[in-house]
Amino acid sequence: MNQIELTLFLESAVRLGIPLALAAIGETITERSGVINIGLEGSIIAGALGGALGALAFEGAGLGVLSGAMAGLLVGLVFAVFAIGLGADQIITGTAVTIGGLGMTGAIYQARFGATGTELSLPTLAPVAIPVLSEIPLVGSALFAQAPTAYFAYLMAPIAWYVLFKTAWGLELRATGEAPAAAEAAGVRVRLVRFMATLFGGAMAGIAGAHLALAHAGTFAENMSAGKGFIAIAVVVLGRWNPLLVLFAALFFGAASALQFFLQALGFDLAYQIFLAFPYVLTLAALAGWVGKSRAPAALALPWEPHR
Amino acid sequence: MSDPLVRLRGVQRRFGRVQALAGAELDLHAGEVHGVLGANGAGKSTLFNVLGGLLAPDAGSLEIEGVQTALGSPRDAWSRGIGLVHQHFTLVPALSVRENLALGLRGRSLTEVGGVVEATMERTGLRVPLEATVSAIGVGDRQRTEILKTLLRDPKVLVLDEPTAVLTPEEVDGLFDLLRELAGEGRAVALVAHKLDEVLAVSDRLTVLRAGRTVLTTERAGASERALVAAMVGSGVADEIALGVHRAGVKRNAPARDPSAVVGRLTGVTGDRLTNATLEVCAGEVLGVAGVEGNGQHELALVLAGRVRPAVGVAQVPDEVAFVPQDRRTEGLVPDFDLTENIALALSRLDRFGAGPLMPWDALEEEAERIRTRFDVTAPSVATLAGALSGGNQQRVIIGRELALGAQMLVAENPTRGLDVAAAAYVHGELVRLAAAGLAIVLVSTDLDEILELSDRVVVMTRGRIVVVPGNERTREGVGALMLAGRSQTG
Amino acid sequence: MSAGIAPARAREAALLGLGAVTLTLGAGAVLLLLGGYDPVAAGASMLRGSIGSWNTFVSITLVRSVPLLFAGLAVALAFRAGVWNIGAEGQLYAGAVGGVWVALTFTGLPSLLLLPAVLLASCLAGGLWALVPTLMRLRLGIGEVITTILMNFVGIYMAAWMVHGPLQEQRGVFPQTDRIVEAARLPALIPGTRLHIGFGLALVIAAVLAVMFRRTRLGFQIRAVGASPQAAAVAGRIDPARVIFISFLASGAIAGLAGGAEVSGLTYALYEDLSDGWGYTAIAVALLGGLRPGGVVVTAIFFGALQAGAGAMQRDAGIPAAWVDVVEALVILAVLGLDRVRAARAAAPTGEGGA
Repeated sequence: MNQIELTLFLESAVRLGIPLALAAIGETITERSGVINIGLEGSIIAGALGGALGALAFEGAGLGVLSGAMAGLLVGLVFAVFAIGLGADQIITGTAVTIGGLGMTGAIYQARFGATGTELSLPTLAPVAIPVLSEIPLVGSALFAQAPTAYFAYLMAPIAWYVLFKTAWGLELRATGEAPAAAEAAGVRVRLVRFMATLFGGAMAGIAGAHLALAHAGTFAENMSAGKGFIAIAVVVLGRWNPLLVLFAALFFGAASALQFFLQALGFDLAYQIFLAFPYVLTLAALAGWVGKSRAPAALALPWEPHR
Repeated sequence: MSDPLVRLRGVQRRFGRVQALAGAELDLHAGEVHGVLGANGAGKSTLFNVLGGLLAPDAGSLEIEGVQTALGSPRDAWSRGIGLVHQHFTLVPALSVRENLALGLRGRSLTEVGGVVEATMERTGLRVPLEATVSAIGVGDRQRTEILKTLLRDPKVLVLDEPTAVLTPEEVDGLFDLLRELAGEGRAVALVAHKLDEVLAVSDRLTVLRAGRTVLTTERAGASERALVAAMVGSGVADEIALGVHRAGVKRNAPARDPSAVVGRLTGVTGDRLTNATLEVCAGEVLGVAGVEGNGQHELALVLAGRVRPAVGVAQVPDEVAFVPQDRRTEGLVPDFDLTENIALALSRLDRFGAGPLMPWDALEEEAERIRTRFDVTAPSVATLAGALSGGNQQRVIIGRELALGAQMLVAENPTRGLDVAAAAYVHGELVRLAAAGLAIVLVSTDLDEILELSDRVVVMTRGRIVVVPGNERTREGVGALMLAGRSQTG
Repeated sequence: MSAGIAPARAREAALLGLGAVTLTLGAGAVLLLLGGYDPVAAGASMLRGSIGSWNTFVSITLVRSVPLLFAGLAVALAFRAGVWNIGAEGQLYAGAVGGVWVALTFTGLPSLLLLPAVLLASCLAGGLWALVPTLMRLRLGIGEVITTILMNFVGIYMAAWMVHGPLQEQRGVFPQTDRIVEAARLPALIPGTRLHIGFGLALVIAAVLAVMFRRTRLGFQIRAVGASPQAAAVAGRIDPARVIFISFLASGAIAGLAGGAEVSGLTYALYEDLSDGWGYTAIAVALLGGLRPGGVVVTAIFFGALQAGAGAMQRDAGIPAAWVDVVEALVILAVLGLDRVRAARAAAPTGEGGA
């Protein structure tokens, strides 16, 4: 593969990896507080539609991203009310939220734009090249000539890492995810912390969705999240619940997904569907290969009642 | 006597159908160590949880330094200067000791925290391994961390809930010295215990709770043991006798050990938390396995009961071993199953219930009914869900069920934990009766008194190893030393 | 574990289900109003489209309910064992592929042999599809929620590949298989309608599962492991791994039947997007039915009616078909919410702090 093809491959890799990174960084914080949000997929698709509608309404992609974040946060709120507020089973609640999110966005889209599927044309998030950095040979344009949401992801990873491991808030968050009873006795408001962590995750997933619609595809299509929420959850495991590693894992995933173009360019004439299935098969293989090394937060997905 | 720092009056609290507190009172003065006594279920921990802001009382008043206060959360309690050291440690196992100490000291930078920690460690002499992960340190260190955590906030009132349950006798002495010192600094120190001797050793004043009420408050000097015991168990003669059995340490006529009657034997068993465990138990004897929690007792019990096969070593146990696990609700019963189903869980495998693919529900229901009657289980019918029964009744169901296995061996793990005095006496009585009838019994317990009272032979578990206690050291001090050192005192 | 989401008593489960449906209808009406639609008109057209006439009921509603019934039973079985099988969708597609392959390959066989072969193949294929997540859970300790969901995507694409490639119709125009021979088609259950004996088969399976849970040792073991794996292991000396293995694969097999029966009984061919998210709807079906086979039969028909009515709703009231997914989600949330209320009421702990 020559230099140009390699560069294109890397650009695709990063572009495909960014939505995963955004969602996974958010979910890392959520899971560190002891909550597993299977409804992440719902937040992503909501963010995609929210981003699309927002961009159209406000005639700007930037405000579209904000709308997407809000939409993702709202879906996360529904999840939080049931799974944290009521203490309902997190797995089932998350599944319901995903089903509902996909259904709701599909219904709204069909209602607004008809089922005929004339493509929506959206104001897009144009890539912004960072001077100097984007000139770096080979990786420069891949890493530093992306949409602003990508840079947001690059920033959020170290920020999340710092907050999680170096601040008092982060300590409380981690305590909540490891031993909520101990955290409560130490005066931490466990439910509130979990709520905040989940809403943050929802917002990040919403931004991921907005990125999909506004920076990646330039349009909205039903079910366009295509399981990225679930892959993001796997990425959190692979990144050992560490925001920095999660960012790398997500980009690695993007690379693996971009591999399909690479292989096609090389002349491998496999059916299109096999390429489509590839990210999911890869995720399964990665989970199988990586497991046993890292440990989830001890209280993850376990129901918890405050003392009073 | 000066005004009390803390004054609790008329505290009431109910959990579902259980009235845990029904008008409890407590006065804590600065400079004193105050012991709160009561049997299991008397309400001591509940009262302390109210004082610590973890529970809201249904009724009653709390005055701190003369000011009426309502505590909405543990944080409120601290801001008023009350520090509660919990019975079940509230440390986060995955975090380091330093991080656990920093937790809750919010608003201070992590370097500030470091300074306060050092200063407090200096002053109190409590040393803890700051960088170690909590899950890796021993119970004694964990308790010191728990106490240090509370002291960091410089509480005016220090309240300890069952602090001695997990300590060796030597560690208990060290703790009591510290408590006296802290009281001497002008704080009010209160501790909860149900072990009379310990409380008497350290307290200046005493309060006795029974059935959720304060029934006696007195100075230590001049308080008689008899009066205290009577206050703890009430005037019911049967109860007093039961407690008398507890306290007098009834010695059974230990049968001569017949080597050919070995029923269960472990040789060199090593694995999860067990190191080269070797022991034997014979028909008709009670083998007591003492030790502080977390030294491999549960793993040992599972191997002895045949529920787990050891990775290394040999476990020769009968096919059927009756097992009464310490976690009734998670390992002994399925709370959402009714009595018949819970009994079927263990018994349906037996030959007498057939071997086909169908469950013989009629026969199982009859069996359940038989057990319910024979073991006096208080439940409307065998269709009652197990989760609705009290702890004592759940234990009766489990014991009845396990005995119906017709096994030669019984492993009982902390069988009286969480039971009231009457239920505990019942369990002890059953164990004695069964041993006399020829069953081989292994009693694994963190309650040293229980072990010494019931066992014919005693071994101690420390860090997964088993150490035999020679006959002449079967006292609290002797066993305690072994628990600490892992070696015999006399050599 | 599974006990956390299903009441212990059948009567409670039924009440909870009714309550959930009521709440959902209420919430659904509110949402429709917010969207500017007329809930009453929506309700009316939905009723008309699902149970408006005998023919509608049998040939549309009941027919729609067949795959939901199979998949709902599959999910209920898994959940009962404490296995979060979210993969019924993929297992269903695998079953469809397996069934249609047999039907297309062994065209010479008489119906007496071919039909059972087709159904058996879909069972095996569905069970096989569940094998990977099962092994990943039992050998590697990886939670099955994510793995089964991932397998869903793989299954959908695998089926799509099949109809684009190896199994594509002879004339090679559309992404679908040839129509299967008569001998491979399930006969009608009620002559003159579209309702095929797949429905009867599903009812039989429901009955078998009901008997299994109530009267057999295996059924008891499954319930025990699902309610408390620790108690099952310690008190019952049951091997949770063995029970989970059986339940997970059986669940996959029954879900596979959903796909096989649909192809063999209704569509007579496989094409892309055979399933309308039935594997996910099955979760709502199973939960609303209290994880009980009898309950699942009722709720499968209810959801069949919802899906049948959705088409009518779209035509008459202009409500997008995706709306049904929202209703499903509301049902699940309603069941969860009410179950929490029930658990809070039933909690009578024996004074945890009373020592």
